[in-house]
Amino acid sequence: MTTPTSPTAGSNPAARSRGRTGTGGELYGLFLSILGTRGRIVGLGLLSLISVLVGVVFRAQLDPADQLESWTKFANTFGLSLVAPVVALMFASAALGGPAEDGTLVYLWLRPVSRLRLALAAYAASLTYVAPLVVIPLGVGALLSGAERGAVTGTVASATIAVMTYSGIFLWLGLRTRRSLAWGLAYILIWEGFVAMAGKSAARLAIRAYTRSLLADSSGVDLRLATITPAYAAIVPLVVAVVAVLLTARRLRTTEVT
Amino acid sequence: MAFAGVSKWFGDLVAVSEVSFELWPGVTALLGPNGAGKSTVLRLLAGLTPPSRGQVRVLGRDPRGDVEITRQIGLAPQQEAMFDRLTAYDFVRLAAVLHHLDAPDDATRRAIDLVELGPAASRRIGTFSKGMRQRVKLAQAIVHDPHLVVLDEPLTGLDPRQRLSMIELVARLGQGGRCVIVSSHVLEEVERFGSRILVIAQGRLAAEGDFHAIRNLMDDRPRRFAVRVERANEVGAALVRWGLAVGVQLEGPDRLIVQTREPAAFRRWIAPLTRDLGCRLREVAPLDEDLESVFRYLVEGR
Amino acid sequence: MTTTGPADAHIADRGYRRYTGPRLGPRAAKRALYVASLQRALGLRRKARYKVIPILVAVMAYLPAAVFVGVSALVPQEVGRNLQVDYGNYYGFITAAIVLFVAATVPDVMCTDRRTGMLGLYLAAPLTRDGYLAAKSAAVTTVLAVVTLGPPLLLLIGYSLVEAGPAWPVDGVVLVVRMIAAGLTVALWYTALAMAVCCLTDRRGLASAGIALGTLGSAAVVSALVDGAKLSPWLRAADLFNLPFELVRRIYGQPAEFPDLATVPLFLAALAWVVAAAVLVRTTYQRLQVTK
Repeated sequence: MTTPTSPTAGSNPAARSRGRTGTGGELYGLFLSILGTRGRIVGLGLLSLISVLVGVVFRAQLDPADQLESWTKFANTFGLSLVAPVVALMFASAALGGPAEDGTLVYLWLRPVSRLRLALAAYAASLTYVAPLVVIPLGVGALLSGAERGAVTGTVASATIAVMTYSGIFLWLGLRTRRSLAWGLAYILIWEGFVAMAGKSAARLAIRAYTRSLLADSSGVDLRLATITPAYAAIVPLVVAVVAVLLTARRLRTTEVT
Repeated sequence: MAFAGVSKWFGDLVAVSEVSFELWPGVTALLGPNGAGKSTVLRLLAGLTPPSRGQVRVLGRDPRGDVEITRQIGLAPQQEAMFDRLTAYDFVRLAAVLHHLDAPDDATRRAIDLVELGPAASRRIGTFSKGMRQRVKLAQAIVHDPHLVVLDEPLTGLDPRQRLSMIELVARLGQGGRCVIVSSHVLEEVERFGSRILVIAQGRLAAEGDFHAIRNLMDDRPRRFAVRVERANEVGAALVRWGLAVGVQLEGPDRLIVQTREPAAFRRWIAPLTRDLGCRLREVAPLDEDLESVFRYLVEGR
Repeated sequence: MTTTGPADAHIADRGYRRYTGPRLGPRAAKRALYVASLQRALGLRRKARYKVIPILVAVMAYLPAAVFVGVSALVPQEVGRNLQVDYGNYYGFITAAIVLFVAATVPDVMCTDRRTGMLGLYLAAPLTRDGYLAAKSAAVTTVLAVVTLGPPLLLLIGYSLVEAGPAWPVDGVVLVVRMIAAGLTVALWYTALAMAVCCLTDRRGLASAGIALGTLGSAAVVSALVDGAKLSPWLRAADLFNLPFELVRRIYGQPAEFPDLATVPLFLAALAWVVAAAVLVRTTYQRLQVTK
């Protein structure tokens, strides 16, 4: 620490850099620290660990012939329909929604940083927590369950796509509304739950239909209303994720900051 | 820096109404009672919220139009929340990095020295008292040496000694050719910041200029009252005769606008006078109460 | 500014005034809290956005009943018989609405008081902690009964009006008794469950997520273990989502979905859950430090 100097801190224009390196990394690190609360990680980690336990039980209890089908159905109803969207909701909606609500967003907003970069940093930080918490336990559970290779890769691929898409959607939702958890749950239960089960065409409007099609295709197990071809099942959710991040950036531009 | 006919409303609530002013280098104090719209004016100035009508310009540009303009704006907001898990140093450094400064660590150290945070800078913000939080907020607002420094109530939560050093610091910031705008609802503090003040009351700009000049204007200017009384013409003539009014304007058979240089005496004598004349007095209402009450509130603290 | 003569001058006494009316006591305090909680949950006297979820849930819960009755009225009797829904199976159509309603409203009723410090004010009134919990749980059960008891009643009334209902009075009365028992069972079950989750956190969003995860998650896991891994069917007792609806089928005397399980132990298991939840809620509230 030196003694106080003149108030013209860094006033030399030449001292200003035009370079942009480092801001993305700094923002990413900041969002990691905002999201990394112990309660959230431990609670959702325990939830995810259930899939590992179920995998172990399947291997111990079932004939190899049944392991594939039982695991695939479980990965669909528990992993893709519940754990992936809910864990994504808990992290992604808090990434920008938390700072917007407590009034700290202004310290990131009032900076010469592109809004897309802000949105991407928040998205990347959310995924950094969500992907391991969801994909790794499901993948390990799939391996332990004794299900065939196809089911393991199908589980990992579909869960990865699910968390990427849901994180994007809930990143935007967190900025859109203050009660993002309630609205996010309503979306998961009603929209993803009802619409995805309503019929073949209606199901195309729910992310869940795409991820379970992917899972069904890789594992070869028939799942209800899992009829989307693999190429679409992989591409459409990722497009949704990209659009959601872009919408988040747009929302950041037009939002009112407190 | 300019506001041109700016209004801002939230639903039915008009927070800022038709406000126009320009800012010049030096310290400008934004004064007004709580809820007058000070924070909204500052948020509009920093581009945090768009005006419902009118234009806000910072260095000739729309503060919401382009993120690059934020290089020239430093804001210390009113709310206390910061990233509590960061140390003060990391928090200020984050601002320096996000402003793309070449030597973020040097700039951070300068800013932290300037606000005299000292060794506390290596502590987490979550452990800080209000006064220290205010200084961290100020440090992140000036680390990139902006042209416009916006400080929302920087003196709240400070003890008298800290107030003094904050006031000095703000005054020094204003000497370097920057525009510094500081909001406050306590006049005596603002008096010490410097010369220019903007007074805002109920979302409207009530006065603008040098504090002492405004005060003199207030004292010199004839005050106006609306009077409802029987036989208004006779009462008006009597008021002038008694020296209680410098001007009288007849609005109707029982309505009168009175200009007076001695509002206290006018208030004291209007009732006995009308009684002597045998006219029933119905109503006496000051017309400049807005500005006057704000000023009385500010100057006399009530 | 009005001016009055010196004779009229007076200084208004604006000071503290004692309340001299009757004091209504704990019963009235509980009733007031009960009514306020009901209104809050149903979005009455609140802004339009708080009415969205109650209205949405009401539509989801009652619309199928209206449709079934309509179908019965329009198609010939012989065909209509086949299209009729059993009263107990009706819950199958509205489980999503029930869970959503529980997750959306109970945290709002329970967590908000602790987060805002309102609980301290309530306890400053002649309300004990137990009295507070009694009023709150009664309110929650009543609100939930709107979706667990109302729709089957509508179905019964509708069917009776189009001559597709039970034979009155004997069969009808028996059915009504079963209906009330079933509706209250589901309402009480979710009251206990949701209040237990809510007492663990004062953040509404977290509690909502906990309720949804607890019910749907346990259903998925139990189904995997019992249907998939062929473990003991008694694990069904840990299926927090399907257990109450299985009880409903038993109350109506309909074919069970889980025939391996005897009725009485199943009821005892459910009762054990409810008692455990009640004990958890009560001890949490007894130990709670009320600061504001």
